Amino acid sequence: MKTNKFLTLILSFVAVIAITSCVEDDDFTVPSSLGNEENAALATLLETSTEVDMTFVQGLYTSGTAPEQITADIYVKGYVSSSDATGNFYKEFYMQDAPSNPTKALKLIVNQSDSYNQFNLGREVFINLKGLYVGEERVGNGVYTIGGAIETDQFGTTVEQLDENQVKTKILRSGVTADMIPLSKTFSTINASNVGMLVSVDNVEFADNLAGKAYFDPNETYDTLRTMQACEGLAYATFQLETSSFASFKQEPLPVKNGTIVAVVTKTFDGSQVIMALNSTDDVNFTDARCTLLDISEFSEVLSEDFQDAVDGTDLDLPGWANFAEAGSRVWREEAYQGNGYAEFGSFNSQDASNIAWLVSPSVDMDAQNNVFVNFKAAQHHLDSNDNTLEVFVSTDFDGTNVLAATWEQLSVNVPTTSNSWYQFVDSGLVDISEYTGTLYVAFKVTGSGTDLDLDGSYQVDDFKILAN
Amino acid sequence: MKKSLFIFLFGLMSSFTALAQETIVKGSVKDAVTDEAIPDVTISIEGTTLKEQTDGFGEFLFKTEVHFGEQMLKISKSGFLSKRYPIVVNEGQTLNIQDMSLEVDRGSQSDLFTVTLSDDELNDDTGGSDNISGLLSSSKDVFQRTAAFEFSSSFFRVRGLDSDNGTVLMNGIEMNKFDTGRPQWSNWGGLNDVVRNQEFTQGLKPSTYNFGGVLGSTNIITRASSYREGGRVTYSSSNRSYTNRLMASYASGLMEDGWAYTIMAGRRWGDEGYQDATLYDSNSFFASIEKKINEKHSINFTSIYAPNRRGKSSANTQEVYDLKGIKYNEYWGYLDGEKKNSRIKEVEEPILMLNHFWDISSKTKLNTNIGYQFGKIGNSRLDYPGGANPSPAYYQDLPSYSLGDPDGPDYAGAYKAQEEFINNGQIDWDRIFDANLTNNISGNYAAYSLYEDRTDDKQWTFNSILTTEINDNIILNGSINYKTLRSENFAEIIDLLGSTNGVLNVDSFSSNPFDENNPNAVAFEGDKFRYNYNLYANELAGYAQAQFKYSKIDFYLAGSVTKTDYQREGLYRNGNQTTDENGVEINNSFGKGDKIEFTGFGGKAGFTYKLSGKHLFDVNAGYITQAPNLRNTYTNSRESHDYVGVINGKKSNDVHITEEKISSLDVSYIFRSPIVNAKLTGFYTKIEDANEVSFFFTQGSSTGFIQEVLAGANKKHIGAELGIEAQVTPTIKLKGAASVGQYTYDNNPSLYITSTSDDFIQSDDAGNQTNLSGTELRTANLKDYKVAGGPQRAYSVGFEYRDPDYWWFGATANFFTNTYVDVSPLARSEEFYLDADGIPYNDYDESIARDLLKQEKFDDYMVVNLVGGKSWKVGDKFVGFFASVGNLLDKKYKTGGFEQGRTADYRALKDDVNNPKRTFGSKYWYGRGTNYFVNVYLRF
Repeated sequence: MKTNKFLTLILSFVAVIAITSCVEDDDFTVPSSLGNEENAALATLLETSTEVDMTFVQGLYTSGTAPEQITADIYVKGYVSSSDATGNFYKEFYMQDAPSNPTKALKLIVNQSDSYNQFNLGREVFINLKGLYVGEERVGNGVYTIGGAIETDQFGTTVEQLDENQVKTKILRSGVTADMIPLSKTFSTINASNVGMLVSVDNVEFADNLAGKAYFDPNETYDTLRTMQACEGLAYATFQLETSSFASFKQEPLPVKNGTIVAVVTKTFDGSQVIMALNSTDDVNFTDARCTLLDISEFSEVLSEDFQDAVDGTDLDLPGWANFAEAGSRVWREEAYQGNGYAEFGSFNSQDASNIAWLVSPSVDMDAQNNVFVNFKAAQHHLDSNDNTLEVFVSTDFDGTNVLAATWEQLSVNVPTTSNSWYQFVDSGLVDISEYTGTLYVAFKVTGSGTDLDLDGSYQVDDFKILAN
Repeated sequence: MKKSLFIFLFGLMSSFTALAQETIVKGSVKDAVTDEAIPDVTISIEGTTLKEQTDGFGEFLFKTEVHFGEQMLKISKSGFLSKRYPIVVNEGQTLNIQDMSLEVDRGSQSDLFTVTLSDDELNDDTGGSDNISGLLSSSKDVFQRTAAFEFSSSFFRVRGLDSDNGTVLMNGIEMNKFDTGRPQWSNWGGLNDVVRNQEFTQGLKPSTYNFGGVLGSTNIITRASSYREGGRVTYSSSNRSYTNRLMASYASGLMEDGWAYTIMAGRRWGDEGYQDATLYDSNSFFASIEKKINEKHSINFTSIYAPNRRGKSSANTQEVYDLKGIKYNEYWGYLDGEKKNSRIKEVEEPILMLNHFWDISSKTKLNTNIGYQFGKIGNSRLDYPGGANPSPAYYQDLPSYSLGDPDGPDYAGAYKAQEEFINNGQIDWDRIFDANLTNNISGNYAAYSLYEDRTDDKQWTFNSILTTEINDNIILNGSINYKTLRSENFAEIIDLLGSTNGVLNVDSFSSNPFDENNPNAVAFEGDKFRYNYNLYANELAGYAQAQFKYSKIDFYLAGSVTKTDYQREGLYRNGNQTTDENGVEINNSFGKGDKIEFTGFGGKAGFTYKLSGKHLFDVNAGYITQAPNLRNTYTNSRESHDYVGVINGKKSNDVHITEEKISSLDVSYIFRSPIVNAKLTGFYTKIEDANEVSFFFTQGSSTGFIQEVLAGANKKHIGAELGIEAQVTPTIKLKGAASVGQYTYDNNPSLYITSTSDDFIQSDDAGNQTNLSGTELRTANLKDYKVAGGPQRAYSVGFEYRDPDYWWFGATANFFTNTYVDVSPLARSEEFYLDADGIPYNDYDESIARDLLKQEKFDDYMVVNLVGGKSWKVGDKFVGFFASVGNLLDKKYKTGGFEQGRTADYRALKDDVNNPKRTFGSKYWYGRGTNYFVNVYLRF
C-alpha cells in the first residue's frame, strides 16, 4: 500500500506536468501588433514628406524618354482602382486620385502577386516616391508608371517592379477603404487620359459574333480582346475588353444581353490601343435586351448637296451656303473633275501666312426631326501635316452671315489624314447630331498657310447630307 | 562480477552428482543483488524446443529428457539481462544447477535507443524515408541491433527494404496500416516501459504469431501479468525531437486473486527539436488488466491512448541549406513573437484490445484477439486560394531564380533575394492575417487558411492463433485473421486566420468546384472542404506452419493465403473529374468505385544445420505475393476512383493492377564460442510488380500538377551482412557490423501520368473537354538505377565497457557509403526527350542527357556515437542514469534526397542545370549534428 501511495503521488505529478507544460498552442488569433509598423511608417511619412498630386507626378515624365528617378521627399496619395483577385491583372495595380470623379491615375508595378489582399479596391494608399521612378513599362506606351528600378535594353530604358522590400516600405496604407464610384463614360469619350481609372459604361453588349464565346479564346496565348459595342444611332460605338489567360473567369461565357460594365481603362501591352479590363465579372451587369440600331432606310434626306452644279474653278457661291475667309484672302471654291463636282479649299500659293476658311451649310430645322445625322465625304491632296486641318462644326445661333459671332461646337468626324491617298474620298461616318435643337448649321473649316510649305495642302468635300426620320 | 562468474562455474561443476539412471536437469535462479528467488524465468536449451519456467521458489526441472552432450542453457526473463551457460549433460546423471543468478536490466542500451528512435518517428512521411529501428531493437542479433541503434539515424534500411516488409504485432494483432503497410509507431510512443516485452523474429524465420514479412516480425506483449511487479519513473532530456520526457509506470504483477494490472502515463514535450520549430507535444496513457480465470483461461484488456502532435520540418535544396544551415525549416514563422509552425502532424489513434488466452492442454494453446483502433491522423498546412505562395523558400523568391533569369543573370535581384531570405526567410504570419483582414473589408473569401489533411480510421481486427506441440520435435502454428477498415479522408479547416468570409470550395487553379453537388459551398472552421472520400479495406488471412527441431537440424515450412479488397467511396463530385462525352456527363469521383480484389499467397521454408555447437548454417527462402498497400493502389484518391491501370475512369489495356511478388533467400554462417559470436549472411530479395504513385508539379513541354504512376517495377536487393561481437574481457566487449548491399531497379517499368491541369485538357469548339493525360504509356528506363533509401553500405565498430560497479559506457564509429538520391522516373521516360508534339527535341544531345540523368551519389561520412550510464541501489529501489551523445564530431551529412519532378524534360532540366545555381535542384535531408540524450530513472 506504500507503493500505491507513492504511485498516486507520481501519477498526479505526471498529470500536473502534462497539464502545465504546454507547448505552442493552437492559438491563431489576430496578432495584436498587426499593422502597427505600417501605421508608424505612414505617420512618419506624412510628417516628414510633402504631398504632391498625380498631375505633378505625371509632369515629371515625358512619354518616350528615360524614366525619372524621384529624389525629393514627396509622396502621392491615391485610391486603388484595379484588383488582381481574379488574376486578370498580374503584379500591377492602378490607383486614381479620387474615389469619384478622378482626374488622373497612375500605374504601379510590384513584384507581388495577389496584391488585392493588401491593396484592395478603394484602399487609400500613400506612395513614398523618394527613390522610386516614374516612367513607362514599354517605351512610348503612354502609361505613367511608378517603378522601383530601371532596366535598359535595345528598346530603351523602362521602369521595373518595386521589389518586396520597396512594397513594404514605399506603399503605405491608411485604414480607409473608399467606396469607388466609377466614372460614367461612353465608349467614344474614353481616351488615353482615362487609363488607370475605374469607369462605367451603360447600354453595352458584346459583339453579335461573340455569342457562345468565353471571355478568353483558348487559341490565344496571353490575352484575348473581345469587342464590346453600344448602339449609337445608326452604328455601334465599339471598345475592346482585354482578358488575361490567367483570369479565373476566362472560361466563363460572355453574357449575351445588354447592360452596364464597370472596368479599368488600360492599354494593350504595346500601348497602341486604349482598352478596358475587368476586375471581376461581378462588374458586368448585362440584364437588359440587346439594343437595336436605327435603320437607314427609314431616314430621309432633309438636306443634301452633291455639288454637281459646281462650276470648275470658281469661288463657291451655291445658294444657302456661306463662304467666309477668317484669315487670308482665299475662300472655298467649286471644282469638277471627270464629271464629279465638289467643294475644295487649298492654301497653296495663296501668299497668305495664314489661311482659315469656313464653308457653312444651309440651315436645318432640328425641331422637326427626331434622329438627325450628318454625313459627307472628304478627300485631301498635298497634305503634309496634321496641323493643316479640316474641322467640322455645328451652330444653332449662326445668323446666316456672321461666322465669327456664332458659337461653334466641333463634331467628332472621320476626315482624311496624311495617311490617306490623295483625292481618295473618305466617308465621314454617320454623325449623330440629334441632341441639337432649333436651327442648325454645319460648317467646314480648313486651317492652312500659303507660305508654310507644310501647311499648303487641300481638302475636298462632297456628297453632304443631313438625314432624319 | 568476473569473480562471481568463476565461482558460479565451479559451483556448477561441483553439483554433478550421480543419483539414479534418469538424466535430470534442474536448478534454481535468484536475483543477483537481492538473492531472492525469481519466478517465471524461462529456461531453455538452445537449439531445441525444450523450455521450462521457474516456479515460485525460483526452481525448475526439465520434465522431458535433455539430450546428452554439450548444450547451451539460456535463462531469461523480461526486465533482466539474459544469460547463457554451457553445460554438459551426462547420461543417467542429474545435473543440478543451483543459484544461477539474473541481474536486473537497469537501463541497457536497448532501452535508451528504443526510446529515442521510436520517438523520433523517422518513418514519418515527411522524412521521405522510413525507419525500422522499432522493429529490430528487440533483436538479440548483433547486426540487427547495430542496424537499429547505430545506423537508423542515417535512414539505413536493412537489406535496403522498406519497413512495410516487417510486421509489428501487438498481442498477436497486426499493427501495420493498410495505407502505407507500415506501423504507426507514435500510436504507442512514450510508453516504453510497457512495450518492452517484445518477441522478435528475424527475416523469414518462423514466428508463432503470423506468417510475417521478409524483414521479420515483432510481437509486443502487453499482458498485465507479464510485467514484473513494481514501478518506474523516468525523466529524460534531449535536443533531438523533444526537450523533456516524463514517464511513470506501475505493474501489480499477478495478484493472488488472479488479477493483474499495469498502468502507465507519460508526457513528452518541447518547443523545438533539432530542426527549427519542430515542436513536440505528446501525452501517453496505457492500462492493461488481466484476469486469470483458471489454469486454462485468462483474459486481458489493453487500452492505449497516445495523442501526439509534432511540428514538421522541410526537405530543402542545397541552395537553401547553404544560406540558412541544416536546422532550417521553412514551415514556421513568428506570430506575436512566438515560433509558429504551419505544419503539424497530429496522431490520435487509441487502441483497444481484448485477448483471450486458452491453454487447451499443456501442448496446445489458443489465443483469440479482438482489436479496435480508431481516431485521427491530421497533417496541417496552409491553403492559399487567394494569396501568394506563403512558402519563404518558394523558388521565385530565392537568388537562383534571379540568377537563372532567361535574359541573363540578374545579380542585383539575386542579392536582394538572398538578403531577404537570410534576414527573413520564414512564414510571414502578419502578412497572412493582414491579407485575410483586407479581404474582409472587400468582402472577398479568405486568401489563406490553415487546414488539416485528415485520415480518420476505424479498424477492427479479429484473430485466433493456435500453437500445438505434436511431440518434442514438431510444433504446429496456425492462425486465422480478419481485419476491416473504414478510412475517412478529408480536408478540414482548422483556422481561418482572421477571415470572416470563409473559403470557397473551388479549385483555385482550375476554377472547378471541389464538389459539384454543392458548387458554391463556403467552408468555415471545422468544415470539410477540398476532398472527402472513404476507403474501405478488408483482409482475410490464414497461415499454417510446421517447425521441426532435431539435434542436428531444425527446419520449418509455412504457407499463407490472404484475400484483400479495397473500395473507394467519393463523397464529393469533383469538378475536375467531370467530363462530357457526346453530351453525357461522366463523373469519376462521386459514389462507390470498383471493388479491387487481391489474393496473396505465401510460402517459405528454411533450416538451421548445427554442424557443432560452434558452427551453424542457416538457410531461409520464401515467396510471397501480396496486395499493394492503399497508397500505391489509388493514384489520385482525393479526386477520383482511379487506381493503377484505371486512367481517368477507363481501364487501360496495357497496365493492370496485380499483387506484388517478393522472393527472398538468405544463407548464414553462425559462429559461437564463449568469447566470440559472429554471423555472416548473404541475401537476395527480389520485388516484382511494385507500384509507386507520386504527386508533383512539373513544367516543361506540359505544365501542371500531375500524378505519376510507376507500375510493375522490379527491384533487386543483393548483399551481405556481418555481425560480430567479442567479449574480450568480462568487462569489455568489442562489436562490429557491416552491411554491403546493392539495391537496384531490375527492369524498366511502365509509367504514365494523369492530370487535370490545363495543358492536358483539350477543348473542342462544341465545348467538349477531353483529358489527354495518361493516354501515352511510357517506359521509365530505371534498370540499374539505385533504389534510394539510406546508405547501401554501412559499417560499424565499437566497444562496450561494463564495470562491475554498475557503470558502463560504449562508443561506436559508423561509416556510411553509397547513399543515392531518389531519381525522378518521369525524367527517365520518353517525357524527357519528346516535345509536346511527340517528336524528340531537335536540340536533344544524348551525351548531355546522360550527364543530366546520372544518379547523384552522396558523400561518404562517419558518425561517432557515445553512450554511458550508471545505476545505484538505494534501499530496495534502483536509481539509474544514462546519457548518449550522437554525432560527436558534428559531421554534416545528407541522409537522403529526391529529384524534384518539376524539371522533368530535357530542355527544362538542361536550362536549370546550366544556371549558376539550380532553381529546381534535388531536395535533401540532413542528419542531425551533435546531439544529446540524458535519462534518469527510479525503479521500485
